[in-house]
Amino acid sequence: MDNGSSVGRRFVLGGGVGLATLATMGMPTAARAAAVRGGRMVYARYADSLFLDPVLSDANVDIWVMNSIYDTLLMPTPEGIGVQEGLATKWVLGDGGKALTLTLREGVKFSDGTPLKASDVKWSLDRARNPKNGAWNEMIASIDAVEITDPSTVVLKLKHPDPTLLPALAMFNTGILPQAAFAAAPGATEDEKAKAFAEKPIGTGPFMLTEWQRGQRMLLKRNPHYWKKAPDGQPLPYLDELEFAIIPDDATRILKLKAGEIHGTEFVPYSRVKELQADKNLRMELWPSTRVAYLTLYVRDKLKNGQDNPLSNVKVRQALNYAVNKDAVIAITTLGLGKPLQSFMSSSTPLSRKDGPVYRYDPAKAKALLAEAGFANGLELSCIALAGNQDEMNNLTTVQQMWAQIGVRLKIELLDNPTRTARYRAEDFQMRTAAWTDDIADPSEITSYFAYYPNIHALHSGWEEKRVNELFLQSQQEVDPAKRQAQYAELQKIYVDAAPILFLYETPYPVAFRGNAKGFVQIPLGNNYFEAAYVEK
Amino acid sequence: MRAVLARIASRPLPAPLLGGLALLAVMVAFTVSPGTFAPYDPLAFDYNALLSPPSAAHLFGTDQFGRDILSRTIAAAAVDLQIALFATIFPGLLGSLIGLFVGWYGGVADAVFGRLVDLVVTFPFLVLVIAIVAILGPGLANMYIAVTAVGWVFYARLMRGEVLVQKSGEYVAAARVLGYSTPRIIFRHILPNAVRPVLVYAVTDMALAILLGSSLGYLGLGAQPPTAEWGVLIADGKNFFTTAPWIVLFPGAAIVLAGLGFSLTGDGLADLLEVRR
Amino acid sequence: MSRGAWLVSRLLQMVPTFLLIGLAVFVLARLLPGNAVMALLGDRGSDEAVARLTRQLGLDQSIGMQLLAFLESVLRGQFGTSLAFRIPVTRLIAERLPVTLMLTGMAIVIALALALPLAFVAALKVNRWPDLLIRGVFQVGLSSPIFYVGLVLLTVFAAWLRIFPVGGYGDTFAEHIYHLFLPAVTLAFSLSAIVMRNLRASILSVIRAEYVDFARAKGLRSRVVLLRHVLRNALIATVTLVGLHIGSLLGGAVITETVFAVPGVGRLMVDSIFARDYPVIQALTLVLAVLVSLAFLVTDLVQMWLDPRVGR
Repeated sequence: MDNGSSVGRRFVLGGGVGLATLATMGMPTAARAAAVRGGRMVYARYADSLFLDPVLSDANVDIWVMNSIYDTLLMPTPEGIGVQEGLATKWVLGDGGKALTLTLREGVKFSDGTPLKASDVKWSLDRARNPKNGAWNEMIASIDAVEITDPSTVVLKLKHPDPTLLPALAMFNTGILPQAAFAAAPGATEDEKAKAFAEKPIGTGPFMLTEWQRGQRMLLKRNPHYWKKAPDGQPLPYLDELEFAIIPDDATRILKLKAGEIHGTEFVPYSRVKELQADKNLRMELWPSTRVAYLTLYVRDKLKNGQDNPLSNVKVRQALNYAVNKDAVIAITTLGLGKPLQSFMSSSTPLSRKDGPVYRYDPAKAKALLAEAGFANGLELSCIALAGNQDEMNNLTTVQQMWAQIGVRLKIELLDNPTRTARYRAEDFQMRTAAWTDDIADPSEITSYFAYYPNIHALHSGWEEKRVNELFLQSQQEVDPAKRQAQYAELQKIYVDAAPILFLYETPYPVAFRGNAKGFVQIPLGNNYFEAAYVEK
Repeated sequence: MRAVLARIASRPLPAPLLGGLALLAVMVAFTVSPGTFAPYDPLAFDYNALLSPPSAAHLFGTDQFGRDILSRTIAAAAVDLQIALFATIFPGLLGSLIGLFVGWYGGVADAVFGRLVDLVVTFPFLVLVIAIVAILGPGLANMYIAVTAVGWVFYARLMRGEVLVQKSGEYVAAARVLGYSTPRIIFRHILPNAVRPVLVYAVTDMALAILLGSSLGYLGLGAQPPTAEWGVLIADGKNFFTTAPWIVLFPGAAIVLAGLGFSLTGDGLADLLEVRR
Repeated sequence: MSRGAWLVSRLLQMVPTFLLIGLAVFVLARLLPGNAVMALLGDRGSDEAVARLTRQLGLDQSIGMQLLAFLESVLRGQFGTSLAFRIPVTRLIAERLPVTLMLTGMAIVIALALALPLAFVAALKVNRWPDLLIRGVFQVGLSSPIFYVGLVLLTVFAAWLRIFPVGGYGDTFAEHIYHLFLPAVTLAFSLSAIVMRNLRASILSVIRAEYVDFARAKGLRSRVVLLRHVLRNALIATVTLVGLHIGSLLGGAVITETVFAVPGVGRLMVDSIFARDYPVIQALTLVLAVLVSLAFLVTDLVQMWLDPRVGR
């Protein structure tokens, strides 16, 4: 959910799935017809993976790769709002929404050639929902038991109806692993086995990891047993090999792309998008995303250091929002690629509010609100940011200049990643830069972090609204879509008015490829799909 | 000493020294009165001139905020001059004092010093500075602390060596025989002679300090925004290098010229003061 | 003292230095705000996840226990497991160290290849235009920050002219050399300037020294004089200089490796500081310290070999 470039931060979280209908996903017919089999694609990433275990992994740099190795029972649809078939071909809710019966796909094999069994599914889900395991078990905490009724049927018994269960079964952490291979991995404890297994992971996904030079590159070969077929009836993936080259420096990644040393790169800085669009040898792709950029505002009366906090006054927070010309920020930081926010969640997130941009630029109103709050003579605020992150710096520089117009002096404090995270968790900040990307095609995840106080004190801002907490809890068990929609509408309105964040913008994922490298897909949740990627000769 | 000074005074200033001093004079002028030279407020945005190339209105072009690069380059001179001075004066003073002490007294202090030198010189300077800045947090003040914590060693080593040479000199032996006090010997006889190489080293070190300061600024660990600093300016413009190279090229040229100013001055001083390096 | 005994005593002297460095870096690393858990988990990890990972990584143990574990692992010739990469630190360093060694090695070769002949030209044409031109160019080199030089070389030779690859390391030895060429040139920039300047000065002083006049008087041809006397003295000075600058070369490698995406230990070091990867920071510090110390030692040995007068 942060944005930046150091190891361990998460801003795009991909899921562990592939798409059944990839061929229909916005690719021109001509490109599909020209799909070439074989060869290698080199794709540059800003940071290496750390730990390729879907359950215990903590970092987005793992999650992006895992969907090429592991599959989930269901998969997100290309627009990232619904689910479709994955390792399960049929799913039926019963028992008043408290039982989910899943029919497993026939003939699926792991990359080591062993067949996928219902017991692998049960074992994987039990492991993923174990409260002792990993950071993500909460997402499927509604599961009470996983039962195998026949070799191709698994039934999930729920504690209560759960509208988020289906998207959760399409999330990377519910990826299916081979129980036997995991058990055979060296190591005395479960953790040691996980570590050993994740070095040479085995899944049902399109690729398998064959070589890994830490911090340099990762080589994946096609999984000969992969179950998904191309439109021509031949098995996917097209590529024989997929190489992830680790190149932390933005400028270097782009230079390499321009020089033809790599086929594609993630995270093109927004400032370079226009330039790459103009390059005839390249193809700039902007995939719709759930990424939102904002500043978290700390709202308690006193700061951690004991000082009075003007941000505890909602009028000050509203004034700060009105004083920022989002269009100017978007023009400067994203060179016009972003859109102003309409809620705290992106417009691609299901159930998000779509009533137009919030807090339209109004410096006069901002000044009036500040005066009402008793700060007619201005005030001084400070914001922590990630050192070396150009986007955050651009946002802050622009905001700083605009706030100066209403008498707000902004002090910027640059920190490295662990320091910044430590201060965030200790709630020792007045404002902080951040960005978020959904992992699940549902508004519940972002809402539990941004608005629902008990989880992490609403982004550690200290903002709490009883009604919002209530609405969130109700919505978590509400299976009627219309009612759930109404709950989310009310919740978002309260949130926007209380402004515990500075609303900035949402942006697409900027990815660039050589003209002859095609078929890559990124969905709004950030998942990267290479199964239909290919390189023309 | 007098003879040396007289000899120096009678000599014409070497050309490199003049060139170096001229460059530094420009830097000082920019520092003292940036407003006289800068056509714009270095922090003012101009939404109508985002990323505009060098033109009559903006001689060095503008950045992504429409800020005037010429004005920012001039404004940054003050910061980089400060870096050049502080990042050498602090370690220089501390190191010289320590070097004087261990050189004169020797013994345990000298042995401990030897170990410390081993410790510091076996470790890449830049990495150590980065580590200390990471501990203290980014910013110029912390950068000076880091540079002082590491850099004093080099001055101390130099000073200690000079003191050892001077200590064995005939006039010190003579002064001792005459019963002069230790402070008098140190300040009247040792220091004036030992200080010349240190001074020359410090001036050359200022060039390196600018490079270090801008490197840290480039990594986001030096001067904090919106302060204009040449390394920060380059880091800011890095992403525009192929499309708007002026954002990077002019501050880069400024670093090179400032570095040249200090190293030419250092070389000239070395010649002038007859310091062999 | 015999050479052998001298060598042994030098090596023994290093041990307490390394011990001190190990201790110092152990403390320094733990003074860094935040820890590896913060770096790894980022913003989203729950409190339970933080607690669990802290335990897994052994960061819940007391400082004393951590120190003991560190010392024990060093004595066993291992350095524990990287907190960020979760593989043995020795493996990580074994992958990365050769890259940096090759980069610095190439930088030294390039620096010498540039500086040696040009220093002779400059010294022989002292204060005439070739001398002024060479000194001017090198002076500019000395005043240019590595990241700037790297950026410019990268853009011109890799992006525009496409003569060299943009970065990386390649797979074969030939590829390594090809990939590391631009980074090595970048790194060689300031070293070559320093070497050239000192070499020129020492050649000048030798040329002006009396014994060369004496040799000339004996009727030797001036070229032989240069080769026999000047070269030896100049080389001694150069070897010393290069040896002393190994540390700053490794420091420069940090930035060079970042700009050129070279997977060496310089970048690993900085990444590890930012990731609070204590075992890697500790191990790399010691490895770099050993390297620099060995470089000093080799410098001394070469000096002794070139100049029998130097002895201890």
